[in-house]
Amino acid sequence: MKVCMLTWEYPPRIVGGLARHCYGLARALAKLGHEVHVVTLEFPGAPEYEVDGVRVHRVKIELGHPNFITWTLIFNHFMEKRVAALSRQANFDVVHTHDWLTTPAGIASKNFLNKPFVCTVHSTETGRVQVLRNPDSFTIDGLEWWMMFEAKQVMLCSDSMKAEITDHFHLPPEKVNVIPNAIDASEYDRDVDKGAVRRRYGIRPNDKLVVYIGRLVPQKGVEHLMSAVPRIVRQHGGVKFLIAGDGWSRSHLEDMARSTGQGDKIRFLGFISDSERVELLKSGDALVIPSIYEPFGIVALEGMAAGVPVVVSNVGGLSEIIEHDKTGMLAFKENPESVAWCVNKILSDDGYSRWLTQNAKKRVEEVYSWESVARKVSKVYERACRG
Amino acid sequence: MGLRGYSMPEEIYFLCLLHNVGATSNERSLTLDEIARWTVMDAQSVKAQLEKLVNTDYVQRSFREGSERFHVTINGIRKVLSMYS
Repeated sequence: MKVCMLTWEYPPRIVGGLARHCYGLARALAKLGHEVHVVTLEFPGAPEYEVDGVRVHRVKIELGHPNFITWTLIFNHFMEKRVAALSRQANFDVVHTHDWLTTPAGIASKNFLNKPFVCTVHSTETGRVQVLRNPDSFTIDGLEWWMMFEAKQVMLCSDSMKAEITDHFHLPPEKVNVIPNAIDASEYDRDVDKGAVRRRYGIRPNDKLVVYIGRLVPQKGVEHLMSAVPRIVRQHGGVKFLIAGDGWSRSHLEDMARSTGQGDKIRFLGFISDSERVELLKSGDALVIPSIYEPFGIVALEGMAAGVPVVVSNVGGLSEIIEHDKTGMLAFKENPESVAWCVNKILSDDGYSRWLTQNAKKRVEEVYSWESVARKVSKVYERACRG
Repeated sequence: MGLRGYSMPEEIYFLCLLHNVGATSNERSLTLDEIARWTVMDAQSVKAQLEKLVNTDYVQRSFREGSERFHVTINGIRKVLSMYS
């Protein structure tokens, strides 16, 4: 099949899980024999067109506007133009868009190509902001509804997401497909000099290392890890915390870290490269994902593949990925005491930690492979094309 | 001291504006006056916001044709995208 995939994030334009998902899926679909064209946005230093198993077309945004929603409509227009130009060379069988950001281009392409349109919903505005309060949020919520209304098939990454979406958008269950995220577990097989990694971040050999990787935005619940820090330090005096990622609540979280009285033990790293990500995960003693809202939580899979014990909050997709006391630990949502209890248990018991990581690694290799996900997505394409 | 009710810092909102108008590379950098016109802010306020963003490496300052210009860095782009991703 010839697939036209639209996404606003694609490496090296990486912010969160969306870019990683599109990259892994597009390459896996290409390996199955599909001709995959990814239409995405420009990024400094990235070529306008490249072929890497997948044909990647980066669209230049030739106009700007201070309002974010207007800006997204403008870049969608340039994406539509690129799809129209491509359609003269490639007779696409299906248009696949990811999240609301590329909805207008996806729907326009569906109509002018007269081809089936499918979408993947990675998260929703109601989930991200918890309550729709401002005009932008209502607009985004509306675009999400429009995308799913127009789509022949809708793909989601977890059962919790299915429940959320069928309820909020009144979506017919028969057009909803739950297909989990995946990772390339082999990326985590490489040897890492943990001592060197720890030295780079000023961690002494015998210090325990707790890691967070993700965006620094309220839905990620990082403040609950910050609040848990004093309770963890009381039991493990030498513990250090590395917070990797960036986002609009970073400065507030840095203030909060200082206010715990343990600011010298907490270091904010900002955005890190994929290579540093693997090194950090493989060097940590615990990975904490304290999200308030998480449709999936791909970083949990990365931690499982890297062999670091994982503590996640008992929400959304995370509670479906992690089996408590077997492949990781589930902490109560928005509960620093529970986060601290789980982290302390892992840092105190090497045997237990080893057992968790062995189970987790096995689980991730068995269930969350890109090949398996691409086969399921192919079936969705076939269903959409059958009508 | 949680994040409930915590609103976006003003400089991040400003960074978002700068990104959305397209000042995302050296070639597309804007002068203080151009930014003031886009954002409908006075030059002094613009300057104050830009200083904060330059200090945190989200905006880069450059000089071209005798004028001071500003554009969002890769870290700045990622910061903006993190709000909506």
